[in-house]
Amino acid sequence: MQLGRVIGTATSTIKHPTFQGERLLIVQLEGTDGRPDGEPVLAFDRFGAGRDDRVLLTSDGQILREQLGRLTPGRWSVMGLPDRNQS
Amino acid sequence: MRIAEVIGRLTTSKLHPSLKGARFVIVLPMTLEALTENSPNRGEEVIVFDLLGASPGDLIGLSEGGEAASPFGKVKTPIDAYNACILDQISI
Repeated sequence: MQLGRVIGTATSTIKHPTFQGERLLIVQLEGTDGRPDGEPVLAFDRFGAGRDDRVLLTSDGQILREQLGRLTPGRWSVMGLPDRNQS
Repeated sequence: MRIAEVIGRLTTSKLHPSLKGARFVIVLPMTLEALTENSPNRGEEVIVFDLLGASPGDLIGLSEGGEAASPFGKVKTPIDAYNACILDQISI
């Protein structure tokens, strides 16, 4: 898993059928020190995370395949919202 | 999936048999500064398998690696970059 910061949201009409009805966030992956890691990614979110929220992401396709369908090309999804105060 | 900007199309005369009639677009991944500060810098160019009809200027959801082959199910395919969605709007 990895931490990320929500920097925005994205909408899409023309998409792979398994994306139907799913909410897409734009997330900048970060280390626990907050340093950005790589380019921003599109992540599926069923937790209602908002802009500037920190999110816990997984790149395990299995979860997405179970939620969205076996053929989904999606990858990152939000699996939790970490509390603010971390050591 | 990274977000990528379509900058062109690629046609092929000879192609892997499993990809008859396939369409490819050329994209540049969007960096954080590109998305948040309209900076011109982009990631490295990727050639992407496209069934959705993306055209230059579109932003797409770029699926790469194992996930890019998922839509093909059991069919073996050399595809490692797949256009998963054309983005209508991004709000940063």
